[in-house]
Amino acid sequence: MQWWQTILQLSLLASSALPAAAASWGFADATVSVQTKGAGVGSGPKHEIPRNGALSQTIPFGNADTLKVALTAQEGKSAKSAHQVFLLLQEPGSGLDIAYPFSVKGNGKSRIELTWKDLPSQFLSASDDLNARILIGSFGSSQAYDEPAFKLAIDRNLDEPIPTSEVSRYGKLPEIHHIFKSDPRSPPIVITLVFIALVLAAFPLLAGVWLYLGANVNHLPTAIKSAPLPHAVFLGSLLSIEGIFFLYYTSWTLFQIIPAVAAVGVVAFISGSRALGEVQGRRLAGLR
Amino acid sequence: MRWCSSLLLFGCLAAVNALSSSGNRLLVVLEDAAEKGLYSTLFGDLEARGYNLIFDSPKNEQLSLFELGDRAYDHVLLLPPKSKGFGPSLSPKNLVDFLNNDGNVLLALSGKSTTPSAVSSLLLEFDIHISPDRSSVAVDHFNYDTLSASEKHDVLVLERPGKLRPDTKEFFGGEGILAVPSASPHTLGDTSLLAPILRAPATAYSYNPKEDSGSVEEVFATGSQLALASAMQARNSARFTLLGSVESLQDKWFSATVKAPGGKEVKTANREFAKQLTAWTFKETGVLKVEKIEHHLAKHGLALEDLNPTIYRVKNETVFTIEISEYAHDRYIPFEIPENDALQLEFTMLSPFHRLNLTPIKTTENSTLFSTQFTVPDQHGIFSFRVNYKRPFLTNIEEKHEVTVRHYAHNEYPRSWKISGGWVWIAGLWSVIAGFLAFVVIWLYSEPASAVDGKRKKTQ
Repeated sequence: MQWWQTILQLSLLASSALPAAAASWGFADATVSVQTKGAGVGSGPKHEIPRNGALSQTIPFGNADTLKVALTAQEGKSAKSAHQVFLLLQEPGSGLDIAYPFSVKGNGKSRIELTWKDLPSQFLSASDDLNARILIGSFGSSQAYDEPAFKLAIDRNLDEPIPTSEVSRYGKLPEIHHIFKSDPRSPPIVITLVFIALVLAAFPLLAGVWLYLGANVNHLPTAIKSAPLPHAVFLGSLLSIEGIFFLYYTSWTLFQIIPAVAAVGVVAFISGSRALGEVQGRRLAGLR
Repeated sequence: MRWCSSLLLFGCLAAVNALSSSGNRLLVVLEDAAEKGLYSTLFGDLEARGYNLIFDSPKNEQLSLFELGDRAYDHVLLLPPKSKGFGPSLSPKNLVDFLNNDGNVLLALSGKSTTPSAVSSLLLEFDIHISPDRSSVAVDHFNYDTLSASEKHDVLVLERPGKLRPDTKEFFGGEGILAVPSASPHTLGDTSLLAPILRAPATAYSYNPKEDSGSVEEVFATGSQLALASAMQARNSARFTLLGSVESLQDKWFSATVKAPGGKEVKTANREFAKQLTAWTFKETGVLKVEKIEHHLAKHGLALEDLNPTIYRVKNETVFTIEISEYAHDRYIPFEIPENDALQLEFTMLSPFHRLNLTPIKTTENSTLFSTQFTVPDQHGIFSFRVNYKRPFLTNIEEKHEVTVRHYAHNEYPRSWKISGGWVWIAGLWSVIAGFLAFVVIWLYSEPASAVDGKRKKTQ
């Protein structure tokens, strides 16, 4: 199982090594340092990057710091100036990349200084460390160099707000579901029943007070005897007015009850005047 | 025999491939008629797809994009000018007017010549920026063609572009490798109307070959900030595409073999990419059409007059349906929402009260029906059903249908006896009525209490 993988790797190595028979670009004498503003020249830590290699440490990079990278570009083993000597910063989360050119001298000595201001705001809000790669390449057949050099940790001051890089892009928006007002609720039925009992309790109270004060219906036989029709019709019409109101409350409309109430009202008026005439007769007779 | 059959096949393809969704008059602006031969495959492909190619030189004074105030052409293909610009008839203003009149423009630039400032100012209208010296070339020492540009590294060898974002449709993807010779790169401003089609790799940069310095120390832009082909779709869905490398459209590169450093020799897919690019720009792909919009109450047994009512009541259950089809090369096909994307319905009065994802419910031969059901908010007023679907590379859908939302009518509330809290008042009302009737009877027929007492005394 293992041997053919090894052979594959070896053949891959060989195949990639073959075109590299031409000279390839690289660097030597590379240093990376971070200098804090006001701390004096050469005060910050300075790390040496091995030749064509990478630094194992992560470099912290704060708000007031200046990142300095110096290197000597080499074609093969001789120092030479290359057309492209870039420090490429990549944010692994979004894949955003930006490259900064070194200032290159004729002998291949290159240096670059970066401050916080040079970084795009998307990098400042990144949570992951930035990958810093060194790109060295030039025209001609020499193989260009593109390898990771170190990792840059953005040392954000926790008190400062994260710079936002909100941009408008066409895309789907968050869903919105309307929040409805809650439906009106009734109190517990027990409380309702207690208050209904209180309201209905007024009846026995009223009846009790009336009886105590001597209310009675002793004149009913006399009234019926002297004017039976007006009394019956008058009381009946009062009851039917209330009945019409009940129908209005449950099912009838206004235009249904108006003629009905008008008719019953006329009946109540006429029969009422007769009935009240009988009552007046009793008063004149001294019965009440 | 072989060429005979291939000719037959070509003829069949020409018959199958029909027109763009927005007309077939294509103006090709070419300064030097002798250069026409360099692009014969491209022009042949376009003619086979049904375009009526009209070649003209920007020097022609009779040339005008408009005739009697209307567009004289449906699409314009601009090849880079040799002189200082495209002349007065193709000024930036005229081209912008052309776009405002729903015309589509494909502009190709070249890194071999300086881009005229008139073109640069046209690009600035769309927030597309080219390098200030206007004669930069994109180079990449890592992804170049070792066969044709082993020294200058200005023929970029790139993968076909994938999706712009995970939630967009792929119109330019596919197998194969693209060769982008001497491209004039550009950067894009921060607007949602712009979308890059083809980006340079992270190791690429742009430089001015006329500035002979040992190394670049000031770059216009680097890496994937550089775009080699970009699209601008205006609010009226008119399309403008900028291609940095006109050479990539030439016959030579349609059938070239390229080899990246450390890679294999492969045939370029430029012809296929050019087809995708022109098809998109001239509205053969990514064109959406709303066929039908329907909304109604969610109930069974709908009659025709129940559709699209002008008035709803608060808290009605409502169903909204929209039918969308997409134009693909020669016909309308059912539109499919890209993954991670959503077609959304908004029910708005000033601001959306509901924003809901529409789900596909039915697919017909050339359209898809999307639908959702929701409860009308408990707020009366003038609302509208809005579908505002604007996505990169797709034409805009902006639908607004106004409806009135009324509150409950007086007889639509629950009756008072159904509300247990109201029983106390109902009991109070009827006890007053009963008390009144009892009082009437007592008043009519009661004997005075003194008389009753007197009677009692008498009997005693």
